[in-house]
Amino acid sequence: MSLLLIAMILVLLIPLYDAWKNDNIWQKMLAFASISTKTAILILFISVLRDDWAIGIVGAIVLTVGNAALMLLANIIKRMNET
Amino acid sequence: MMDFISYTCLIVGVIFWFWGTIPLLSERSVLFKLHSLSVSDTLGSMSIIFGLLLKIPREWPLLVLAIVCLVLWNTMLGYVLAYCSSSGEKRENR
Amino acid sequence: MVGHLIFRLTIWFLLTANLSWLNILIGLSISLLLPRGYTNPETLKEWLSILGKILWAIPLAYIEAFDLILRPHNDEDMVCEQVEKKRSHRLVFLDILLITFTPKTIVVKYHEEGWYEVHRVTRRKKP
Repeated sequence: MSLLLIAMILVLLIPLYDAWKNDNIWQKMLAFASISTKTAILILFISVLRDDWAIGIVGAIVLTVGNAALMLLANIIKRMNET
Repeated sequence: MMDFISYTCLIVGVIFWFWGTIPLLSERSVLFKLHSLSVSDTLGSMSIIFGLLLKIPREWPLLVLAIVCLVLWNTMLGYVLAYCSSSGEKRENR
Repeated sequence: MVGHLIFRLTIWFLLTANLSWLNILIGLSISLLLPRGYTNPETLKEWLSILGKILWAIPLAYIEAFDLILRPHNDEDMVCEQVEKKRSHRLVFLDILLITFTPKTIVVKYHEEGWYEVHRVTRRKKP
């Protein structure tokens, strides 16, 4: 199980690196979307590992709120590009 | 048996994650990366959560809710990102 | 109407994970009280067909994902997909969700006149 956890954290490093390096705003947004989902799944995974369901609820909330916030942000960026 | 299936799901999910996230580093268009991200983030994560669900069926409501949220929000985010980025890029080209 | 109610109650029970009478009553009243927008009513047949599509979409998505992994798709193109004109908002939303859910295709834009711009990846190289 912890091997899987390490693999997942390694995967999480890729979009982090990409968000840091890439200058195009949409590529950055993609990387952030990826980070948001992956962290939420990691939180759920850890909550199962530790058998602590309060953490799991946080994961489910992050899953929704993070994606919704990114959708709003994408709309704002589009508007700003238009004007 | 149950353990085996759940481990298979988890490992398949992590492989999907790896495969779908690596194209982020390449120089492709946003839409192409979006395709591979939908493999990793939606399908890979679904398979991971399903693996967790088989492992601990006791807390199924939360995990099922997580799967529903994941599918709805991730695909919508994909659509919104595709829509916004394509109309944004067309303006830049003009 | 009934579809709405069932959807909201499902979410409520998944959220609370509690099947006591009090909880059922609270959930029922909340799902009745929440406002809902007016949309054209759909026929039962449309709902059944879309339900079938949803159930089929999940294995289809996995099949496409394995296809993408095993045989690299390097080309991309845009196509327009025609749909019937007079559909309710909910069905259009579900359509877009289903097309975007499968990894090979993403809806980029929805036009009011009844067609989607769909972006997909393909295998064949450009000449």
